[in-house]
Amino acid sequence: MNSDLEWALEIVGEWALEHNAPAADRLDVRIKPEHTAAAARALIDARWGYLTAITGLDGSAEDGQLEVLYHYCRGASILTLRASLPRDHAAVPSVCGAVPMATVYERELAEMFGVMVVGTPDSSRLFLPDDWPDGVYPLRKDAALERAAPAPEEDQ
Amino acid sequence: MSDNEHGGSKFTVPIGPQHPALKEPGHFEFGVDGEVVTSATVRLGYAHRGIEKAVETRNWTQNMYLLERICGICSHIHAMAYCLGVEALAEVEVPPRAQAIRVLVAELERIHSHLLWLGVAAHEAGFDTLFMYSWRDRETVMDMLEGLTGNRVNYSANLLGGVKFDLTAELAAEIKRGLAFLEERTQHYLDVVTSDELFLRRTRGVGTMTNEQAELLGVVGPTARASGVNRDIRVIAPYSAYKVFPVTPVVEYAGDLEARFVVRLKELFESYRLCRAVVDNLPPGDITTRFPRRIKAGEVVSRVEAPRGELFYFIRSSGGENPDRVKVRTPTLANMASVISLAVGHQLADIPMLLAGIDPCFSCNDRAVTISGDDDWTWERLRQLGIARYGRPAW
Repeated sequence: MNSDLEWALEIVGEWALEHNAPAADRLDVRIKPEHTAAAARALIDARWGYLTAITGLDGSAEDGQLEVLYHYCRGASILTLRASLPRDHAAVPSVCGAVPMATVYERELAEMFGVMVVGTPDSSRLFLPDDWPDGVYPLRKDAALERAAPAPEEDQ
Repeated sequence: MSDNEHGGSKFTVPIGPQHPALKEPGHFEFGVDGEVVTSATVRLGYAHRGIEKAVETRNWTQNMYLLERICGICSHIHAMAYCLGVEALAEVEVPPRAQAIRVLVAELERIHSHLLWLGVAAHEAGFDTLFMYSWRDRETVMDMLEGLTGNRVNYSANLLGGVKFDLTAELAAEIKRGLAFLEERTQHYLDVVTSDELFLRRTRGVGTMTNEQAELLGVVGPTARASGVNRDIRVIAPYSAYKVFPVTPVVEYAGDLEARFVVRLKELFESYRLCRAVVDNLPPGDITTRFPRRIKAGEVVSRVEAPRGELFYFIRSSGGENPDRVKVRTPTLANMASVISLAVGHQLADIPMLLAGIDPCFSCNDRAVTISGDDDWTWERLRQLGIARYGRPAW
């Protein structure tokens, strides 16, 4: 683990449940979902780095929980904060207070994985069509996806 | 229409989804007070094809072909990011010659992308002569890419474990000839965009993003580097052959549209230099290596510098023939928030230029419905539909 990642661990240490370094320039820290916003605030205030992406994961946990990964980067170092969420009540606080541009990432996470992002400034759909059925989250492994019926031919 | 604080009326102007600036779909709603933008929202997904879901049902090799179709401009960089990630997961070492060829294609792609952008952005500013000349010159690099890979757009140069195409001596000479021509032309364009009085009125001091804003908004690529944020993945986290062929970053500090033009044009010179360095110092040896069909369980992050900025891939394997998850965060999505926040306070007429300023790529952005099965649209079926619709055969 390099010095940047050691510093990152110092910043988010108070919320860390466990951590490991899957590669020389990576650090994964597991935190509780309710701490994601506080951790974002702390990382941004310390000017450690920037939020590069939010990844939703399904199928990674044995107990069927969903996971949300927040990837922060500083130079070549990548800090990933991981939070596990129950499938039926998946919710995380918004990190937009610290990272305003995360709004697009949070909208994507919400519609694709059915994760409620509490306090996000705009919760309207970003990518999915207007007529997409409510409660179907396409990137969940058990999503009931059927092929849409072909659009009726009009103005013949 | 709603009342504003001055007791006047406020309008919402919808822009898009058809061609808000570039010839790609995106929908924006701008609240305006007179000519001044007071609020902005974005709605994407018009080019959403379900790619992130589709990768979960395809094997590691098939996905390379799928992922490089995320974008028709920067197809190579998507395949490269994916291959680098999968190769790291499989712990396969790619031969140096293959890595150098990947970098060569990546830089040729950047040249094509930046020249394409120059034309589009010039067109948005009403400078169509610049648009036509820059696109004429762009054909030079398109010919190089076609000569090297056989394709103009989806070059398909990568393989898991290497590349498909080698560089011949004739091609190397042709590339160097083309680069010399482009270098001269790029100098001319740099002179034009920094001296043409009318053009400068559309770019200088417009859409200014301070260094602090750029950091806070997390913008990437040339958009960030035009605001003094020295963030180029080729420099801060060199990958593949960029470790051997180091890149000098181009950073400007004005943060306005002009700076975004200058950064991209100066980056072209750096790409020409890199291409020459690779062509002159191409390591000898194989261009492919053996690659396993199954990949052991694990997770990997792959970051590369696409023409529009940092492209982020998160790849997870559960030990099978298919990936468990591939997450793609494209540079346009990272930069989209900046358009929304910069738009406020600007004239409505500046919006197309502001949008063009980040060089958005909606296909990249949207990704994720694939069509397969027995009801595919065949040529004949399309023809019959055309006849039915227009009441006569078109050909």
